[in-house]
Amino acid sequence: MDVNTMTYATQDLWTWWLALYLYTGGLGAATLAVTFLTDMYLKPHRNLVLWGAGAGVVLLSLGSMMLFGHLLHHLAAIHILNPLAFILKPDAWIAWGTQFIIWMMVWGVLYALPYARETPFLKGLPLVGKVLDWGLVAKISAAVQRFRKVVGWLAVVNGVGVAVYTGLLLQSFPAVALWANPGVPLLFTVSAFSTALAFLLLIMYTVIKDAADEKIRVLYERVDLVLISAELVILFSFFFYLKRGSESAMRSWELLFTDFGWLIGFIGFGLIVPFFLELKGVVKGWTSHVPIITASVLVLMGGYLLRHYFMYAGVYAYPW
Amino acid sequence: MTHYAMVIDLNTCVGCNACMAACALENQSPVWDEHKWRTYVHDKEIGVGDSVHRRFFPRLCNHCDNPPCMSVCPTGATYKKANGIVMVNPDWCMGCGACALACPYHARIPITYGDVAQGREFYGSDYRRSSPSMDKCSFCDHRVEKGLKPACVETCVGSSRQFGDLDDPGDPVARMVASGVARPLMPHIGTRPNVFYIDDLKWRG
Repeated sequence: MDVNTMTYATQDLWTWWLALYLYTGGLGAATLAVTFLTDMYLKPHRNLVLWGAGAGVVLLSLGSMMLFGHLLHHLAAIHILNPLAFILKPDAWIAWGTQFIIWMMVWGVLYALPYARETPFLKGLPLVGKVLDWGLVAKISAAVQRFRKVVGWLAVVNGVGVAVYTGLLLQSFPAVALWANPGVPLLFTVSAFSTALAFLLLIMYTVIKDAADEKIRVLYERVDLVLISAELVILFSFFFYLKRGSESAMRSWELLFTDFGWLIGFIGFGLIVPFFLELKGVVKGWTSHVPIITASVLVLMGGYLLRHYFMYAGVYAYPW
Repeated sequence: MTHYAMVIDLNTCVGCNACMAACALENQSPVWDEHKWRTYVHDKEIGVGDSVHRRFFPRLCNHCDNPPCMSVCPTGATYKKANGIVMVNPDWCMGCGACALACPYHARIPITYGDVAQGREFYGSDYRRSSPSMDKCSFCDHRVEKGLKPACVETCVGSSRQFGDLDDPGDPVARMVASGVARPLMPHIGTRPNVFYIDDLKWRG
């Protein structure tokens, strides 16, 4: 039809709450994956694993509840909980994502179980302490210790699946140029792992505070620096893809790259400032932990802003 | 094999909105919310001064052969019949809204618990819906099964909407599509729609 009668519109069905679901999903899953890999291959670390599994379960539960709360027909959600859902609907990323989330939580809790049984704080909790002492739980814990790496990898694979799924979901909407491209899963996965490392650095500098973790913290800072750089490169390519793209793409470009929240809030304070703070930390070091803590908080804030702006800046081109 | 399709002639649409009313009553749509009609006729003024044209543009589900709303549906509530009609099973639809974001034609409609309650009051004991879902046009499948035309086609005063079988070479709809005079919306997206439009020649000059 005639292009001069097109209407351009953004959507108001999936808004901040879906951005929060994508954010907590990516952050929680990547945190779990990073801590379990650290525990399996760098240094056995009870506190990190408990924080990783805890973040995975709590953040994913929060995000999933946010999505569940916005469903139109809550009872019908039973169909998506069916473990065969992704086999029945292999082309639907939500079907895959739901199973990734469920199994990541299951394997994540199992992997953390032996550590949980050794933790005085958890054993002292009224209900949790009793459950951890059950004979069945002790047997499961012993089995997990025997097959520790198998359980760990099952949790990690599902965790990575969740992080990638958050981008694949948006990629599956063909009418919006900002979403329907292979850069989105890449950007969201890189951002998920960057925010996860920022979250773990924050926890290690403010809660765990163990001097013996210095090597892990330095590694996390270096990897986060690489991930922030990768995110900036991907955004650079998005800048030109949108600016020189279809009308839907160009209108998304106008929404994003003329908005101070995106430019200064996300790219400025969410990526560039933490990049330089972490770069100085890696190259010359800091005498205080405050700059890295600041960088971590900014990266976490930027992670949400990325998804928030992505949801609001998707433009549909309607031929009427 | 039957392959249902619709042709909409923008030259003969007079913007009476009878199709919207017929569809709403036939399918018990939430008429109290103008954003929740299964079919909608957009009314636009194009041009300036003496050369202003009023243009009517009916839209509905395009019953795509490659429907993105069906592929993203996680429960399988959205499905396609062998005759080409894309349907939604409200009992299986959890209303996540992914179909609405996937649809390039703005054809998926959220029916909430509030709409169902209001529907019971508005349509009375005849009201058929029992649960919320992401609703859509069904080409009046229940009528088509009986050999009738969709309600919007039946009621169209200018014969702007025509319904037929693409697999029947003698069908006027199939002939208009085969000739290229009736064209799909946004074919580049790859949805392979089964609603075709004849462009308004008056506007195009």
